[in-house]
Amino acid sequence: MGHGRYIAPAFGGGVHTVGAGERLVLDFVILPGQSQDLRVEVDLVGEGAEVTLRGLWLCPADERVSVTVRVHHRVPGCRSSQLFKGIVGGTASVRFDGTIIVAPDAQQTEAYQENHNLLLSETALVETSPQLEIYADDVKCSHGATVGRLNEDELFYMRSRGIPEADARILQMISFLSPVTANLSETQKADIESALSSML
Amino acid sequence: MADILLDIRNLHARVEGKEILKGIDLTIRRGEIHAVMGPNGAGKSTLGAVLTGKPGYEVTEGSVSFAGRDLLAMAPEERSWAGLFLSFQYPVEIPGVGITNFLKTALNARRKAQGLEPLKAPEFLKLMKEKMALVQMKPEFSKREVNVGFSGGEKKRNEIFQMAMLSPVLSILDETDSGLDVDALKIVADGVNTLHTPETSAIIITHYRKLLDYVRPDVVHVLKAGRIVRTGGADLADEIERDGFDKF
Repeated sequence: MGHGRYIAPAFGGGVHTVGAGERLVLDFVILPGQSQDLRVEVDLVGEGAEVTLRGLWLCPADERVSVTVRVHHRVPGCRSSQLFKGIVGGTASVRFDGTIIVAPDAQQTEAYQENHNLLLSETALVETSPQLEIYADDVKCSHGATVGRLNEDELFYMRSRGIPEADARILQMISFLSPVTANLSETQKADIESALSSML
Repeated sequence: MADILLDIRNLHARVEGKEILKGIDLTIRRGEIHAVMGPNGAGKSTLGAVLTGKPGYEVTEGSVSFAGRDLLAMAPEERSWAGLFLSFQYPVEIPGVGITNFLKTALNARRKAQGLEPLKAPEFLKLMKEKMALVQMKPEFSKREVNVGFSGGEKKRNEIFQMAMLSPVLSILDETDSGLDVDALKIVADGVNTLHTPETSAIIITHYRKLLDYVRPDVVHVLKAGRIVRTGGADLADEIERDGFDKF
């Protein structure tokens, strides 16, 4: 990413416009107990604009969380990359709507979006709906969404090596979130880890 | 005679409602290496899974005592702390968890259970380096995620490496020889032989005699349809290699 102006990393939701050669990095973290309706909108309006969006939600109890993300590629040669991960338990419910819009003129667009969720209970609910609206023909786009559970084979493997069950589950959750948390501050990482410990 | 380390009596177990072990009796003394051989579906891997406490394996009858304790009453991690180790037939990949962090967490959890302080970083790294050399693992392996992207042979060597790190009293090697070429087999066998002491025992679960050419067992058992149908010395493995399992 050696070119262009770097826009300082932002945190949370809001509407953002990214111009030619600029790069935006936006992270958000939704901690336990924070029911909210988070909306993020990014307009890529200048050639070569780039955005990286990363976010996570931890909803172990009865949270109601809605995350809506729209990334609009309006001009050619822009790049967007989105990764969101969530851990949802109790009777919490999470709705994720992610839309990538590629305008007819926005050739050579690269746009990626992924959303992965772990369910900790039978009663937790995740609805994830990734959408692509592509009106240009020379683009590289992909999206993917999964909803799964902690892997029981991994858990037994760790326990058979002497790692207690609770520690093993926390290790699994930390590793699940690591692609999203890798660039967060140490304070934020510590907040997330202590939230995970209280989620079991 | 040495002390009894593992005493299995009339062990019955089922998986998903189906009885797989139908009355196993097996006694292992300290220092002994036992081989459990048998055809596919005999219950060999089930025996390893039941001994290590894998969820989903239900013991319906019988008892297992390990170093004088009731093994079946213990959680999988407690069995590990007591010195039991299983080398998995299919080692599990754990994306996002590095080998170093994994083993440090495992070793320090056991130390905590024993009322000991966590190992200091230099001591831990020295131990890792020493044990990796034992199974001829390159130092860069310590930076990889647990089993992720490993070849079959690398996964098996990683099992023996973990065994070396945890220095168990009883090691169960579940088909550790399957999928290994001769060189990898020798490395694994050397590791097992080096770690073997008069105080420690091993159960080698295998289909073939291959590994037993390098790690000589004191006792060989033939497991068939959930029962031990024959017990003998090392020469029983030769007999099986020659005649197969059908005659038992």
